Amino acid sequence: MKWSNIRLILVREIRDQLRDRRTLFMIAVLPLVLYPLLGMSFFQIAQFMREHAIRVLVVGAPDNPALPPLVEKDRFANNLFADPATAQLLQLTLRPLESPDRGAEHDPLARARREMQQGNYEVVVYFPSNFVSQFGRFHRSLLQHQGAADEGPGPESDLTIPRVEIFPNLSKDASKAAHRRVADVLDRWREEIGRQNLKDSQLPATAAKPFEITTLDVAEEGQHKAAAWSKILPFVLLIWALTGAFYPAIDLCAGEKERGTLETLLSSPAERIEIVWGKLLTIMIFSMATAILNLASLAITGSFILSQLPQLPEFGPPPGLAIVWLLTALVPVSALFSALCLALAAFARSTKEGQYYLMPLVLITMPLTILPMSPGVELSLGNSLIPVTGVVLLLRAMLEGNYMTALPFIPPVVAVTLGCCWLAIRWATNQFNSEAVLFRESERWDVGLWVKHLLRDREATPSFGEAMFCGVLILMIRFFMSFSLDVGNLATAAAVTQLVVVATPALLMTVMLTRSPAQTLLLRRPPLAAALGAVLLAVALHPAINVLHVVVNYLYPLDGRLAEQLKAMSAGLDNMWVMVLVLAVLPGICEELAFRGFILSGFRRLGHKWTAIVLSSIFFGASHALFQQSLIACLLGAVLGFLAIQSGSLLPGVLFHIVHNVLALLVSQVTPALADEHHWLHWLMRSASDEGQLYHWPVVVGSLLAGIAILAWFHRLPYARTPEESLQEAIEHQSAHWMPN
Amino acid sequence: MLRDRGRRYKRHIRYVWVPQDKPCWGTMIHVRHLTKHYADLKRGKIFALGGVSFDALPGQIYGLLGPNGAGKTTVLRILSTVLRPSQGSASVNGYDVATQPSMVRHQIGFMSANTAVYDRMTAWEMVEYFGRLYGLAAEPLRARMEDLFTRLQMNEIRDVLGAKMSTGMKQKVSIARAIVHDPPVLIFDEATSGLDVLVARALLKTVAELRDHGKCIVFSTHIMREAEKLCDRIAIMHRGHILAEGSLGELCDRHEERDLEELFFRLILRHDETHEADRVPSQPVLSQPS
Repeated sequence: MKWSNIRLILVREIRDQLRDRRTLFMIAVLPLVLYPLLGMSFFQIAQFMREHAIRVLVVGAPDNPALPPLVEKDRFANNLFADPATAQLLQLTLRPLESPDRGAEHDPLARARREMQQGNYEVVVYFPSNFVSQFGRFHRSLLQHQGAADEGPGPESDLTIPRVEIFPNLSKDASKAAHRRVADVLDRWREEIGRQNLKDSQLPATAAKPFEITTLDVAEEGQHKAAAWSKILPFVLLIWALTGAFYPAIDLCAGEKERGTLETLLSSPAERIEIVWGKLLTIMIFSMATAILNLASLAITGSFILSQLPQLPEFGPPPGLAIVWLLTALVPVSALFSALCLALAAFARSTKEGQYYLMPLVLITMPLTILPMSPGVELSLGNSLIPVTGVVLLLRAMLEGNYMTALPFIPPVVAVTLGCCWLAIRWATNQFNSEAVLFRESERWDVGLWVKHLLRDREATPSFGEAMFCGVLILMIRFFMSFSLDVGNLATAAAVTQLVVVATPALLMTVMLTRSPAQTLLLRRPPLAAALGAVLLAVALHPAINVLHVVVNYLYPLDGRLAEQLKAMSAGLDNMWVMVLVLAVLPGICEELAFRGFILSGFRRLGHKWTAIVLSSIFFGASHALFQQSLIACLLGAVLGFLAIQSGSLLPGVLFHIVHNVLALLVSQVTPALADEHHWLHWLMRSASDEGQLYHWPVVVGSLLAGIAILAWFHRLPYARTPEESLQEAIEHQSAHWMPN
Repeated sequence: MLRDRGRRYKRHIRYVWVPQDKPCWGTMIHVRHLTKHYADLKRGKIFALGGVSFDALPGQIYGLLGPNGAGKTTVLRILSTVLRPSQGSASVNGYDVATQPSMVRHQIGFMSANTAVYDRMTAWEMVEYFGRLYGLAAEPLRARMEDLFTRLQMNEIRDVLGAKMSTGMKQKVSIARAIVHDPPVLIFDEATSGLDVLVARALLKTVAELRDHGKCIVFSTHIMREAEKLCDRIAIMHRGHILAEGSLGELCDRHEERDLEELFFRLILRHDETHEADRVPSQPVLSQPS
């Protein structure tokens, strides 16, 4: 890959885009015009957004001098409002009570519903006919109760309180708001009556209010501002980063295909990877420029508008440090969106088709961006692993100044984002290397024909797409099976998972979609030394993996309830041989057949050994239930993939896997008592209070060095390359050894 | 004059050793048993090329003559490394198209009806861009471009954007773009399609001049007169196969035909008849009445 070529392509594409009026409009003109226009519209519309009067029907409003006034003229009394000026917003219609002998059609609830459905009122307040008399009885009883308390036990008194009924239609927002206001008014009226009752009972008003509640906000100056902006800015950043990548990607790929200039470029000395990087960087620059211009325009317009709104003191110009975090997050986010847009746009034959393909990307990204705004969604390990959502949550925490909270989640968010970026870039590169994508003819797609084609045109090993499908299928079945499996019975659950979820899809797909199951699943006899080397490697790497488990558990501690569940599950297994069978032998065979057999063979069709190993190990890691397990499994998956390719056989991997799992089981069974019984264990291990048994450091270092030596030996083995790998190697060899002037 | 031409093109020649099929000394393009197939949902594997072999020498125009769908574009796309062969081999100036595509692209200039010019670049910018991609330094590139723009009479359109150019102007820019790095091999795929008579004639003249400068040129067309006038050797292609190959005189003598058009039709009809016969399923033998 020559950077001079990438720079040339980049400069040309930028110049080309800057000469395109549509791109300039989207990137420069729209952000500069959009927010000021929205601000102007906001002020214009605000004039019409005054609160509307609410129509309230009050049936049987009490008019008794014993009660504080509720209604004065045709309004609720002014003293019943926090702000008396809002009293006029409740327009009352006073209606006397109906005579009870007028029949069912005059039932107050039925009548209120009818009136409200007709849209005459937003809410109805109903005072029953006995409200005043019942209140009088209650009041008298209260006074008698007070007198009796002074003079000793007296006659039984009636302390039944009267009831007022409110009829709102809570499915309508206007009625909901009216209900809230009317309920506030009635609350205040009730307090007034309560105070009067206390006065009549010769009790101080504070008797019903024994203490005051005072709220003191401990937020420092600027925190409210940061919290408010932290919800808006990440959303705007991501949405505009995606939009900014969208149009240049379509123009640079589908547009070039449509205009016929892509073939011109493909026949030039620029390599495909150079073309991809040149285009990717262009899209990224435009994506970042769009996001930055939008943020700047939003911040300037927002600050100006907020300075005109003194009633929103917690808002103000965004904090200065926010810019640093936003720009830092923008780089990987833009890279991810640009690579995804590039790969999708490369598949399209025209700009119109490109828009069809990119729209689902927007539809997937929107919920991931909006999810962090939901109340209760906080930065956690699980959330930080969701692409895009993790970035938004991390960014929010940084903008709010919660650096210590955010710190542990930076590695997973960065790893997930960079991992997605890498995958998207690889995908885009593969799209540019694929003749089927670049020179795709429009062909009628039919499910029947496609299935027939899959079965009829089988090749010796699976395609990349088939391997990807197998990996996704295993993950999906595993997800749905996890709800139906009885985790109380660990042996059955583990056996079913391995046989049904992992092995069956891979074996079925091998038989149905490939011509050579033996080649696909690497069912060859390996050299004896390789098999022996794999066993030794499993033993040698075990202490280091043990330490790694401790480190991962320290960084991402297991949830307490989950840890208890896991302990309870393992306690159910007391037969060592069953444990070895379901937790070591079955995974060793089934997972190797699926991940190092079918899936790795399919990924090797890309022509890059290490890409295939990394991709298969990601699927292997993701197939484990716990994140902590997945991290280690990912690493082990890479070692297993390397063994499978270098030895050309599945068997060394199976042996490594079984030995590794058996050792892990054995170490988990070692207790201090057992160690005291077998003194040689003290030479290897020591007791750690929380982590169980740990290897001594010299053992870890020594065995790790031995492991590296064995891996180096495997690296020197001449492995059998696939035709794609041979071709790719030849191409890379010529690129590396021949640099034209 | 002839010695001059020889000296010019000899610097491009490399000795090539290909184990299975040795090319002659000086062969610029060496194609053996080239096969290309595509997967088709309905019909399964479709063979666009079914084992094409030919050689082309420096200072020679090698014509690929065939109807639409004959496989001419596929051959040329493989030679320009835009497509990869399914089987067989092809090398350009000693470099293999499958394993050394980058080197092959430095040896060729490729121009086809599908290689358009950029709408938002001027003629000068476009030729300069490709010159830089071919690794030419700024000063030699500038001198080369001045020479090319004068020779191809392009100075008037130097600052015209691609979108504002006529078809003839675009073809000139495409030629300049293809030869800016002075490659030993030039590939023209249906280069005159869609051009008016005047522009087509000018383009053919340019191709002939390039041949006179020692370039090895592969020229595909479906127009008989172009092949007759221009090509030193002609391969008649149909349905992914070369039906006949040789100079115009050799072809006419060998097949006892007066002109190329007659020969073309005869070969294609014969090929179609043979294949139709192959496709007819064998009829069950009925017992003859006694």
